Amino acid sequence: MSLRSRIFTHAILISVCFFMLLPIYWVIKTSVSGENLFVYPPSIIPADPNMFYYVEAWYTVDFVQLFSNSFLIATLVVIVNLVLNAMAGYALTKHFPGKSLVMSFLLMSMMIPFHATIIPAYLLTAELGLLNSKLGIALPALSHIVCILLFKSNFEAVPSSLIQAARLDGLSEWQILTKIMIPLSKPAVATNIILSFIWSWNEFLWPLIVVRSPDQQTMPLGLVSFLASFEDTTGSLYAFCVLVVLPSMLVFLLAQKDFIRGLTSGATKG
Amino acid sequence: MATVSFRALVKAYGDLEVVHGINLDVEDGEFVVLVGPSGCGKSTSLRMLAGLEDTSGGDILINEKVVNEVAPRDRDVAMVFQDYALYPHMSVFENMAFSLRYRKTPKAEITTRVMEAADILGLEPLLQRRPKQLSGGQRQRVAMGRAIVRKPQVFLFDEPLSNLDAKLRGSMRLEMKKLHRRLGVTTLYVTHDQIEAMTLADRVVVMNNGHIDQVGTPDEVYKSPKTLFVAGFIGSPTMNVLPAIRDADGSVRVGGADGFSIDRSDIPEDAPQNLVFGIRPEEVFVGETILDDKGPVVTAIVDVVEAQGPDTLVFASLGGHDLTIRTRPDVKVKAGDAVQVQLNISRSHLFNKETGRTL
Repeated sequence: MSLRSRIFTHAILISVCFFMLLPIYWVIKTSVSGENLFVYPPSIIPADPNMFYYVEAWYTVDFVQLFSNSFLIATLVVIVNLVLNAMAGYALTKHFPGKSLVMSFLLMSMMIPFHATIIPAYLLTAELGLLNSKLGIALPALSHIVCILLFKSNFEAVPSSLIQAARLDGLSEWQILTKIMIPLSKPAVATNIILSFIWSWNEFLWPLIVVRSPDQQTMPLGLVSFLASFEDTTGSLYAFCVLVVLPSMLVFLLAQKDFIRGLTSGATKG
Repeated sequence: MATVSFRALVKAYGDLEVVHGINLDVEDGEFVVLVGPSGCGKSTSLRMLAGLEDTSGGDILINEKVVNEVAPRDRDVAMVFQDYALYPHMSVFENMAFSLRYRKTPKAEITTRVMEAADILGLEPLLQRRPKQLSGGQRQRVAMGRAIVRKPQVFLFDEPLSNLDAKLRGSMRLEMKKLHRRLGVTTLYVTHDQIEAMTLADRVVVMNNGHIDQVGTPDEVYKSPKTLFVAGFIGSPTMNVLPAIRDADGSVRVGGADGFSIDRSDIPEDAPQNLVFGIRPEEVFVGETILDDKGPVVTAIVDVVEAQGPDTLVFASLGGHDLTIRTRPDVKVKAGDAVQVQLNISRSHLFNKETGRTL
């Protein structure tokens, strides 16, 4: 690539980044300054940055309860997703009668939006006696078809001779999955962790329907009740938003390198 | 160590049968090479023996015990794959120790066995490296080391040298031969390279189209091929083949009108008229290598001369049929020459043209 085209590409990328990061910057700026969005003239640098609004947000709602609920549910979702999706993905790399039927069923399921199945999902959760519980909130998110397919495509890229060698070495199918396939599919694992964590962390509608008591509320529900309780809350609201978003951003940043590899391998070998 | 037997072994994928009821007995400690072109069923047979493919018919016996239903890990066989199949996320040591760990071998013994194998194969300096940090030859040795540490009853090799360059292949062949002599483990080796087959094997099994065409020592399959296919597949350059017609008086006319006649009254009377005459390139003499009593002398036109150093290949035309001659480098012939060539009849072969089998 010539210098001129490199400069051109970078200029475009930097300007796109600028527009994408501006709202995030604005949220962070407001969370430390409490300045109203419509202040004129708008200031780029916060006048008197401080952590007051974070402290206020922390004490206004039961932050520790909300955070630990969300964190426990997200952790459960991530672990169960990893186990179930890897197992399903590995099974789908094998030949078995009705495999194409299973694949079509999975793909068709992806086309149905969650909102369309929310009533049966609610009834099922109620039947299981899991309403108003963390397990009930986690239940519909315990496996994601996208992640199953991601594991499948990653596993298919592992040479079959490795699996055969492992079989001759005396490994069971479960051991082949855990000792060979998963360690060789780090991008899929990273992608699975990020997607299931973020989806679980950000989920609003399902917890809203399932949860009745405040002690089971998650962060997004807490945000709504936070909004409902106060009138002039600009600074605290933005501080709370930052606290809600921060964990999922951290998880993403920690695993983003493998995440991008996971998504691209899924796209090309799909 | 163990004996291995195939009894009417069949493999079919749906309606397509790829191995047609083959029979083979491998003796204890023997080095047997299955050789044949791609798709002849040699790898499939090996994989059935390893338990990586189900059999469709017949039996596989290891030490006289039918193992058709025995899981791969319980057959006590170790396999070296064409692509080595080293676990990329493990070091050389871990790769070699891996199978022992899952067989509940004590830690101290694992270390001893891995170090022993590393010593045999010269892998000690590489034990902490990952496979991607190794060269092709080193990876090949690690794959062999992984098989050795298990001390299996049978070694299986599935084209293990085909990913190496020619020079390395030569030296690895030698190492494998030495290793077999040292360990004495029954070995089945699959290759499509007839030089590997000839140099490594105690016995060669030539497979064609899902059948075994011939089983014999390298010398036997080279000097006394049972079929036209074996004659053509074993040896480089391949055996010269010329059309031949059997006459009523017991003589055989080779190479048409410009050819020659040979006396073969020993041929059975029910043999067909249309035959194929075969002779190895080194059994055709040219120039000063012609001797008085070896066989008929005919004229051939030289097309191409290839000097290969230790010997020279002369590609000629005899009555419109291709004839390859391997001769000494000091024999001077050049393209376009009409030269006298002599065929060593005592080392020639006649095949039934229809069945391809030797007479």
